[in-house]
Amino acid sequence: MGTDMGFRKGFAALLLLLAALPAKAQFRVFACEPEWAALVRELVPEADVTTATTYLQDPHYIEARPSLIAAVRRADIAVCTGASLEAGWLPMLLQRASNPAIQPGRPGLFFAADHARLHAPHDHVDRSMGDVHPEGNPHVHLAPDELPEIAGALAKRLTELEPEAAAAILGRYIRWRGDWNRLRAQWQESGEALEGQSVVVQHSSFSYLLRWLGVETAVDLEPKPGMPPSASHLSRLLTEPLLKEAAAILIASHQDRQPAEWLAERTGLPVIVVPGTVTGKAPADSLGGLITTIVSRLETTVSGASDGVL
Amino acid sequence: MYNRVVPLALIPLVMSASGVVANELNPDVSVTLDGYYKQNDTALSHREEGFGLGHTELSLSSPIDDLFSGRLTAVFGEHDGESEVLIEEAYLQTNGLPASLSIRAGRFLSQVGYLNSRHMHEDDFVERPAAYRAMLGSHYYDTGLRFNALLPTPFFWQVGAEAFAGDQLTEGDEDIGVFTLNTRVGGDISVSQSWQLGVSYLNNGHADSADTGDGSHDYVSEEEHDHDHSHGAGYTGENLYIADLVWKWSPNGNTREQQLTLSGEYLYADELNQYAASDDTNEGWYLSGVYQFAPQWSAGVRYGEVDLREAHGDHFHSQALEETDVMLSWSRSHFSTVRLQYTHQSATGFDKADNAVMVQYVMSLGAHGAHGY
Repeated sequence: MGTDMGFRKGFAALLLLLAALPAKAQFRVFACEPEWAALVRELVPEADVTTATTYLQDPHYIEARPSLIAAVRRADIAVCTGASLEAGWLPMLLQRASNPAIQPGRPGLFFAADHARLHAPHDHVDRSMGDVHPEGNPHVHLAPDELPEIAGALAKRLTELEPEAAAAILGRYIRWRGDWNRLRAQWQESGEALEGQSVVVQHSSFSYLLRWLGVETAVDLEPKPGMPPSASHLSRLLTEPLLKEAAAILIASHQDRQPAEWLAERTGLPVIVVPGTVTGKAPADSLGGLITTIVSRLETTVSGASDGVL
Repeated sequence: MYNRVVPLALIPLVMSASGVVANELNPDVSVTLDGYYKQNDTALSHREEGFGLGHTELSLSSPIDDLFSGRLTAVFGEHDGESEVLIEEAYLQTNGLPASLSIRAGRFLSQVGYLNSRHMHEDDFVERPAAYRAMLGSHYYDTGLRFNALLPTPFFWQVGAEAFAGDQLTEGDEDIGVFTLNTRVGGDISVSQSWQLGVSYLNNGHADSADTGDGSHDYVSEEEHDHDHSHGAGYTGENLYIADLVWKWSPNGNTREQQLTLSGEYLYADELNQYAASDDTNEGWYLSGVYQFAPQWSAGVRYGEVDLREAHGDHFHSQALEETDVMLSWSRSHFSTVRLQYTHQSATGFDKADNAVMVQYVMSLGAHGAHGY
């Protein structure tokens, strides 16, 4: 066994050496969700980015697949949401990949939620409340006022890891920040028509943006956070007085459409399906583009619907 | 799973999030409740007929510092009306050693095969396949040391070696009774499909000194095996080889809505004990398909066979078992599962082989760690 271990170690060291030679050139990023991959690409366009999830996947339920373990092993930094969003899979990836750079408390692990003010933190949670995160709502990538903070912290972290590219990264951050402020002003303008409206949602995926726009949440298709909509909960919603105020049903692309369509059939409300995150296809291929898409879909549908009601 | 308290990820978050929880210095506590009703006894089973408690565990885990984390898992069981507490896990694990090396020391589940290193409460069926029950005692854990390394290849390739006391498998005098070698590769075929292949070898240095029974033919049944080595494997050999393959599919990779998991393993053991001839071997395999067709519902079918040699003093008796399981399970949340299963057995050389209906619940209280693939 001793000789075998020695052989294996030697073999591993050799492979490591071979792989390390070309690998040094490129900065490698592991992004838990597409929104952070998009943000990293804005700051370091030449980075080699692996994204663990797509907009068609529920980021709470990802498996610690072999391909993801291999990607974390090679990465220089992992950029994730945090606030327990990835609690079901990220710790397993970190442990299995055993990458010394990417461990809790080390600079190679960046959590966006650490740099944002989260909505609805809880002092006390228990599971009868459903899947509630004690830290607050983790779906922070759609918060127009928090993103600049997160992007600033990410840019700072990237410059620490890539000091030779620091000036370029900071330059791109400043440009991004300017673009973001311009876009934010546009959303604010479009959002005026939306203020005071209310929508039916499924999960708290869009709640940062809705709150920012002044759009109320009428009801949630989920009986408890994280639980799939049930027939009994949907029937109960039909009698909910707040439902009458709602202008639309807003769900994300990765969610099952049947519950929303069931409710739409009985209430006549329009269903809006938008990507919950960056898709890789224009216009929703950047965070700014994504929010623009969501806001304009809401605006078209909701203002159309409310005109009809009036 | 949003508020799972997971040692590695949560600690920095808890500290940075303002005014949240105050227990960052306490280990995470988790309890698994496993209870069942079984219509009648079946062959090679660790679950008796009637109402019973299965794998009830209490687990404590926490980062120790930035280099080590640790875990303690105690399992509560009953045998012939006597309560017992077993230490199933008591280990330290390194986090992020250079060159993707990792070391685990203490008592832990061996990583041979696909199922063995998984916790029993993650299983899709009430019991492990017959091959596992016979040849690994459902799950082989022991006290020892593990070295793992990920090779710097673009795809996933892990190699590992373990050394164990060995007494949990077969009682014996060797200091290091068992050692294992294991390698795994895996990857994605597309966004919807992923796979993993593993090959393992387990050397049991205690196989020679295994209790071979008294050689009498009046009454040596699986019952006695169960109770003599209630948690060890009934059928061991000096060499155990395992090959495993897993393939998973879900539309767009969105495992929340739907997922199909196909898995299979083949186990082969030889040099069963000091009297074994070259054709005395134990062999077993299974194939399992589980389809999670809605977020809360899964249905599955599993077929497996074992072909065993039961020691009778200086010679062996052949035994064989074919087993088909069909199950349906419902999970209210990620933390609760209720399962209905029907098991069909046909056997040679087993007294208790039978068909049985089972109802099982598996409930998880407290912290809930991240799952493996």
